Amino acid sequence: MGKKNILTINPGSTSTKIAIYSSNDLVFLKNIMHPTDELEKFDKIPDQYEYRKNIILQELKDAHIDILTIDIIVARGGLIKPISSGVYEVNEAMKKDLRTGVLGQHASNLGGLIADDLCKSIKGVKAYIADPVVVDELDEVGRITGHPLFKRISIFHALNQKAVARMHALAIGKNYEEINLIVVHLGGGISVGAHKMGKVIDVNQALDGNGPFSPERSGTLPAGDLVRLCFEGKYSQKEILKMITGKGGFVAHLGTNNAYDVQQMVNKGDKKAALIQNAMAYQVSKEIGAMSVVLEGKVDAILITGGIAYNKDFVDYIKKKVEHIAPVGVYPGEDEMRALAMNGLRILEGEIEPLVYK
Amino acid sequence: MEQLILVINPGSTSTKIAVFQNRKQIFFTNIKHLQEILEKFERIADQFEFRKITVIDELKKAGIEFKKIKIVVGRGGLLKPIEGGVYRVNEAMIHDIQNPMGEHESNLGGLIAYEVAKEIGKNIMAIIVDPTCMDEMEEIARISGMPEIQRRSFLHALNQRAVARTFARNQSEKYEEINVIVAHMGGGISVGAHRKGRIIDVNNGLNGDGPMSPERSGGLPVGQLVELCFSEKFTKQDLMKKIKGKGGLTGYLGTNDALEIEKRIEEGDEFAKLIYDAMAYQVAKEIGALSTVLKGEVNGILLTGGLAYSDMLMNMITERVQHLGPVKTYPGEGEMEALAFNGFLVLNKEVEVKEYV
Repeated sequence: MGKKNILTINPGSTSTKIAIYSSNDLVFLKNIMHPTDELEKFDKIPDQYEYRKNIILQELKDAHIDILTIDIIVARGGLIKPISSGVYEVNEAMKKDLRTGVLGQHASNLGGLIADDLCKSIKGVKAYIADPVVVDELDEVGRITGHPLFKRISIFHALNQKAVARMHALAIGKNYEEINLIVVHLGGGISVGAHKMGKVIDVNQALDGNGPFSPERSGTLPAGDLVRLCFEGKYSQKEILKMITGKGGFVAHLGTNNAYDVQQMVNKGDKKAALIQNAMAYQVSKEIGAMSVVLEGKVDAILITGGIAYNKDFVDYIKKKVEHIAPVGVYPGEDEMRALAMNGLRILEGEIEPLVYK
Repeated sequence: MEQLILVINPGSTSTKIAVFQNRKQIFFTNIKHLQEILEKFERIADQFEFRKITVIDELKKAGIEFKKIKIVVGRGGLLKPIEGGVYRVNEAMIHDIQNPMGEHESNLGGLIAYEVAKEIGKNIMAIIVDPTCMDEMEEIARISGMPEIQRRSFLHALNQRAVARTFARNQSEKYEEINVIVAHMGGGISVGAHRKGRIIDVNNGLNGDGPMSPERSGGLPVGQLVELCFSEKFTKQDLMKKIKGKGGLTGYLGTNDALEIEKRIEEGDEFAKLIYDAMAYQVAKEIGALSTVLKGEVNGILLTGGLAYSDMLMNMITERVQHLGPVKTYPGEGEMEALAFNGFLVLNKEVEVKEYV
């Protein structure tokens, strides 16, 4: 069988990653950075769609990649309705939900939309999304909050968490479906998931719900103080939501969302930067501890992944706090591009059937 | 030698007093104060003379021999944020009690104890123990993901600490040398990480942080909370009520009574079971979170407060956390016992008496 060309698209909050795989092999990868002042011109995330699509087309052209040679496009999915883990063909129902953002606005909403649009110019090629952030396998007890007006929902880095979990299972010669893992994704947002025999039965809602703070997000805040802040009259709703998602965490305390810059500040002896960086690691550790209880202490491994997993000091801090729970494995960076491509390949080779979004 | 410990615990409409002989309670009374008398006083601090006289009268009526009283222990109130422990009531404290940071009846505890001690005899020490304002939280635990908001320490300090000390004594260890996680479960729930005698991290249940409880919501998803705040459907007061008073079990099941809820569960009410289990789940997660603060070095997990009388709930929690350390239950609150216990420790020179400055 000939090699298949797979285009993968993964829009993040400040960049869009694109990659071409020739079956298993990566042949092209580009992380297109979007300057903050460019993105701030758009009121809502869906408005960035045309802007990001054109940049992608330009990048492919610059790299002399003929879009007509592509066999399948797989994008990272967004905040659509909660669904089970798997690969879904982009259809009208999904596009509608991606545009409105039924569970909220997130850059990954753009993935399916851009993929679908690019398909139109290539005959016989279909667009898919795989393991979107709304993958929901929560246990009923994990959905309950402290008041019936509120529900805990599942929004997390499902694609990377699942990919890393499967990779680890493979490495130790076990099935993902027969082990328990705690997977920690450390990116612009931070999610900590309890994987019980292949299902993520609890995970902090990393977008605007709860859990540790992250480079850009506030994580959990004391509810009483938050209510007071809302009624104080000093900030608008939009401003406060921004302080939770986008301008929280590192950005609010230190003025940057770049964890590498924060480490540089720490290295230069900046005490405040050190305190804030450690506080983030402290909160991540606490979330891991909470998830260990969800798995009743039966944890085969704790896996740390995402961009910040490259930061040895940060990972070491967490390790000291949690290694009594289970051995800690580090999978730095994100394998999302490969994960998307492999899901595409499995579809092309008929290994799995795509699921239908309703 | 027979040495007596006098304990004074002022509440909003009553003053509880007890006399202990070492660890045994030999006298207890809850003196109710008439609302119309209390209302005459402008500030709570002004009630002091009245309450003091009442306390002394009651002790005389009960035939307590004043000369046998060796120490007077009062409930501590809203002073400066200080580390926990036993404090001698001194001039600096009296000054702060008379010019309090906030009005609360527990402020009177130290003042009454001080004056009663003076009246009983020379060299009788008056102390307060683990006041509500105590704060030993580490810097790192105070940081939230929004600089406008700081995490603060507020907990059932007295009972948390008393239970931890009791556990340590029973293990023949010093509280200052072990690590424990204490979950106090009453109308509100506080879960504290005690590292070598200091409570270095704790959820502030009064403020919507941590697990839900019979009356409080605990932590809520922040984005959704902001949307509700701006929805114009609820006033600030409405929402604060959902966090404290009408949240948690009350919000879902219309009652804060654990016995009633357990009855429903036994009668097959699946929803009640789910909610009750969710509370246990959240308490367990909080315990798990704090186990990492202690790097897994946990000598004991201590479950206390009124809810600790419930075997069903304690089993739901224990199953989930027993891998983290030995779990022990200490049902009830026992404020009077906790205060007396500290007086006993002072007389036995087992605890340091700190000076308030």
